[in-house]
Amino acid sequence: MDSTPHTAPLDGTPRNSSARGVVITITSGKGGVGKTTTTANLGVALGLKGKKVAVLDGDIGLRNLDIVMGLENRIVYDIVDFVEGRCRLRQALIRDKRAVPGELYLLPTAQTRDKTAINPKQMVDVCNELREEFDFILVDSPAGIEQGFQNALAPADQVLVVTNPEVSSVRDADRVIGLVESSEKGPARLIINRTVAARVKRQEMLSIEDITEILSTEIIGVVPEDEAILSSSNRGTPVAYNGTSPAARAYQDIVRRLLGEVVPLDSENKESFLESLRSLFRRN
Amino acid sequence: MEFFRRIFGGSSSAQTAKQRLRFVLIHDRAEIPPGMLELIKDDIIAVISRRINIDRDNVAVNIDTAGPESKLLVDIPILSDNVQEAGRQRGTPQRRAAK
Repeated sequence: MDSTPHTAPLDGTPRNSSARGVVITITSGKGGVGKTTTTANLGVALGLKGKKVAVLDGDIGLRNLDIVMGLENRIVYDIVDFVEGRCRLRQALIRDKRAVPGELYLLPTAQTRDKTAINPKQMVDVCNELREEFDFILVDSPAGIEQGFQNALAPADQVLVVTNPEVSSVRDADRVIGLVESSEKGPARLIINRTVAARVKRQEMLSIEDITEILSTEIIGVVPEDEAILSSSNRGTPVAYNGTSPAARAYQDIVRRLLGEVVPLDSENKESFLESLRSLFRRN
Repeated sequence: MEFFRRIFGGSSSAQTAKQRLRFVLIHDRAEIPPGMLELIKDDIIAVISRRINIDRDNVAVNIDTAGPESKLLVDIPILSDNVQEAGRQRGTPQRRAAK
């Protein structure tokens, strides 16, 4: 890395000093619902839309955003190194060069520390510094509602809660939505992840309407179950780079909504042709 | 996608996942981030090639976790050029002056 101060714009172009990036925290309460996959894909989709984006791994000690994005080989420094003064912020930022015409950077977390290595005030400071250079800062929250979650929530301007159409994650989502409200970070918006239209149709799975009714929270996106997700994380290439898969299209729609476009939800609720064919042949 | 991959003989995504996990877990267990090895490699190349001619493109720095302690394995191929020649050419000005 060169010796330019870390406050300089990363691409060397001057940035309007009044422009301040938006911090969006992605959280869920329950683990395993798809926070990290969501964060990676929204980052990629925003980058492909021409935005300057930083994605920040909030799960100290259980680093994963790097491997989902395929950037794990390039980590030298992390957010804890920066906070403790061992590097400059730009030395810890890893660029994903695939997300053009925008810019996408990962700020990795530490793998060998724990949640107490950073406090909410430090997270706010890091994000404020990132706001100067980026349009969007996406914070991937850890599961749970303890300090890691509080750290992720502290800098947030907006909060997206990821849930699955399944009882335990909806219950945890309700708890988290309440915590977001009481921290005056609300209203949170909801991403329903891993829906299967055929199963909703057969009334084996909660529908978008059911979840909306239960949580009375605005839904910003519905991401269908998609086999492409597993192979994309196997390879470290977020599915949003492959614009044709159903999940990729859902992430693109969420990004358009984040950017203020009106994109109807019901288009995602419909069964794909392939899925209708599959459900025709399915026995159970 | 998988169909075309099988025809053209690319590696499966599961194989890719396995290789990536192997690599990243070695670094996790040794508590050395992967990118740090690249920096160490650059440092080693800079120091060694001040004295002797080495094959910079084939220097390898790896972590060996096979034994009870993690080891840093550094493999530096030496080019067949006269070692002393390289030392003289690349020696620091002070050293040359001393000679």
